[in-house]
Amino acid sequence: MPKSLIILFILIVVLSAGMRAQSSVDFYYQKGNEYYLEENYAEAIRQYEAVISNGYESSELYYNLGNAYYRTGQLGKAILYYERALKQGPKDKNIRFNLRLANLRVKDRIDIPREFFIFRWNRNLVRLLSMNAWGWIMTLFFLMASVLLAVRLIINIGIFRRPARIVSTILFICAAMILCPLIQRYQMERSYSYGIILQSSTKSLAAPQEGSTELFIVHEGTKVQVLDRDGDWSKVELIDGKQGWILSSELEII
Amino acid sequence: MLLVQTNLLLAKDISVSASVDRNSIHLDDVITFSVKIEGTRDFPAVPSPQSDGFVIISGPSQSSNIQIINGKMSASKTIQWRLAPTKTGKQEIKPISVKYRRKNYRTKAVTVTVSDRKTTTPAPRTGKIPTPQAQAPRRVESGKYNIFLKANVSKHTLYKGEELIVSFDLYFQNVRNFATQKLPDARGFWTEQFPEKRNPTIASVVMNGIAYKRATLRRLALFPTTTGDLMIDPMVINCEVVVPGKRRRSVFDDFFDDPFFRDPFFSSTKTVEVRSEPVSVHVRELPVVGKPAGFSGAVGNFVIESIIDTLQTKQDQALTLRYKISGSGNINAVKLAPLKLPANVEIFEPKIERTINNKGKSIRGSVSYEYVLIPRSSGRLRIPSLNYVYFDPVVKRYHSSDAAGFNIDVKPLDQALVAHNAGFSKEEVSLLGSDIRFIIRDNPNWQRLGTTVFTRFWFWFINILALFIITGSILFRWWVDKLETNSLFARKRRALSGALTILKNVEKDIAGNELDDVCNKLDRGLMGFISDRSGLPSSGIGPKEIHRALIDNNVDIVLVESVDKLLRELEQYRFLPGELTDKDYRRLLDITSEIIGELSKVI
Repeated sequence: MPKSLIILFILIVVLSAGMRAQSSVDFYYQKGNEYYLEENYAEAIRQYEAVISNGYESSELYYNLGNAYYRTGQLGKAILYYERALKQGPKDKNIRFNLRLANLRVKDRIDIPREFFIFRWNRNLVRLLSMNAWGWIMTLFFLMASVLLAVRLIINIGIFRRPARIVSTILFICAAMILCPLIQRYQMERSYSYGIILQSSTKSLAAPQEGSTELFIVHEGTKVQVLDRDGDWSKVELIDGKQGWILSSELEII
Repeated sequence: MLLVQTNLLLAKDISVSASVDRNSIHLDDVITFSVKIEGTRDFPAVPSPQSDGFVIISGPSQSSNIQIINGKMSASKTIQWRLAPTKTGKQEIKPISVKYRRKNYRTKAVTVTVSDRKTTTPAPRTGKIPTPQAQAPRRVESGKYNIFLKANVSKHTLYKGEELIVSFDLYFQNVRNFATQKLPDARGFWTEQFPEKRNPTIASVVMNGIAYKRATLRRLALFPTTTGDLMIDPMVINCEVVVPGKRRRSVFDDFFDDPFFRDPFFSSTKTVEVRSEPVSVHVRELPVVGKPAGFSGAVGNFVIESIIDTLQTKQDQALTLRYKISGSGNINAVKLAPLKLPANVEIFEPKIERTINNKGKSIRGSVSYEYVLIPRSSGRLRIPSLNYVYFDPVVKRYHSSDAAGFNIDVKPLDQALVAHNAGFSKEEVSLLGSDIRFIIRDNPNWQRLGTTVFTRFWFWFINILALFIITGSILFRWWVDKLETNSLFARKRRALSGALTILKNVEKDIAGNELDDVCNKLDRGLMGFISDRSGLPSSGIGPKEIHRALIDNNVDIVLVESVDKLLRELEQYRFLPGELTDKDYRRLLDITSEIIGELSKVI
């Protein structure tokens, strides 16, 4: 009896602490919204960032933060947070719209090389859902396939056997196929390979050292892929394939 | 310009250098100190030079330069101050530290040798009264020679930034030469000098009954940069005064009084130091009432005009927009606010040129801002008119001058190029005119930072459960199929349960006192168990076959002997049921159960 009481007490403490944290996060979020409505964007940013410093995130938070930064003219930060919002809510039309608008204001207008259609389809497919969504869908398919297989094997009724085998096979194939975009999405999000330039303009050098040949200049808000790191330097690639070294402090990983 | 010190610092992407126009000067000279930044278009702020041996008398003035050669852009900016020395000796201008992208760039210190005015030859800065040059004389006091220097100011009360003309007039009777020793320190003013006349105009004036000659030696335009009572320090000059030769009075005096003999040829000269009196002026703050928001501090009378090189261009093709602000007043304070144009126009850092004309009665000049613009989309580009605000101290009001706006027709690129064009599509251009969508106000579903589906318990639980379900159901089907198809396997798997069922029935029989068939059932149960487990035929099996089977299965000999003994006993009592009591039957049951239990572990 005392043991169960202790467990109950711990459960109550843990749950109430979690609820308290959530309510304070909601408070910061709503305060941020109020400041945004009052056009006090700097304070709105402070409140929204307080949510992050409390250890919570959401696509809505990142979206609002992006808006606040956009209003203060910090294009790089705005695009950074829109991109983070898009990671969690890739289907959200508002995020996509604001990100597109912000990207139009980026000085670098980079020619995007035409991509082979299969790669383009694959990229669009991977970006269709968030990593979590892909993960849960795969889990659902896998569980359904497993249960159907188990029912077929255990009950093994003649009339049920064939359709159960076909459906479970299809479900297994679906789960395996979903694993591909899931892994790609994981690599995309968790390999920390994409960043946004935050400086108004940054020189890209041929080697990770001061004084090496200047290759090109990238401007605030440009999205780059980080290929390598060497001390304070990051090797980046633009979407048109240009590569160069820039200071890591001049970009932030999405 | 003589480059005294140049320091190319740290990174080649940005270089900061400091220089002076001369590194050897006299105490009454003024030098130009320049800091040049190259290699970037967003120029960092540059602090004022610090030195114990110099004071800033004007500046900073800035000029920037952008060049695009073969598509590669280079930009530089030069900031200049005019410095006057305050003491002689080797004077050091401390290094300038510039912060650029979290890095500090330092120039080297610049050393200037300042020599005493006594040892200098004043010729380069000497105004000459039109008399023959005499040998350099000794310096004497000025009072008794009826010579004084007067500083005249155009006004005693003025606004901050308003022009103040200060002229230094020398009143004298017999001065052959003069040399400027020290220009007035005008702290709190930006100073512009009017050109010095080689031969100043001399006028005759009478003051307090004494006839003087008056020559304006120097004119300065001062623009106060602060408010309050400001002091213009004395100007110091050395004059060569002609002193007639002293002789005893004689009958020849009248003869020698002839103007011919007053000629300096018959006289000696002395050097006299002459100082002007310091002058105080009161500087007022500009009126707050009516001060427009875009006022940059320009005081005077200015006109702005705008010039564009073309009204028709192509997308991605550069065009030049130039604003020129000209007029009289504190040109140094004239600056334009950053240009605001639609986002589809790329604006480069302007090239700023400042020209000052000091030839007239007041300081005039112009500042031009030359912007390079690149429209990134086709269509009509509207450059709005620009309103430049200044304060007119004559009418004591803020005025403004307008530069015309332009409508530029930006043609699209050739169709062939559009496919790979970096500009905006029509849809994007229309999108640029819209605003971002509003924030989301409902509380979201929060998730802990860094959590993904892969860090969730339920994700792994469900997937591992699914794996167990698959494995379990496959094993189950394999088990069932083997039981159905392999009789030996089926007998082996069912042997124990069959034996236990028999033992349960025997126990019931003993409890119900139905003892006739007990030994027979125990014998059948034990032999059936062993033959099922050993794969022996289910009929026609005797103790010998059982013994052999147990030996073949490597069963412990003691256990084999126990089995043999039990089988013999059961065989014996099967046909003598009346000789045994309940206890005996129970003992046989226990032994059989025990042996089956032991055997189930080894076969």
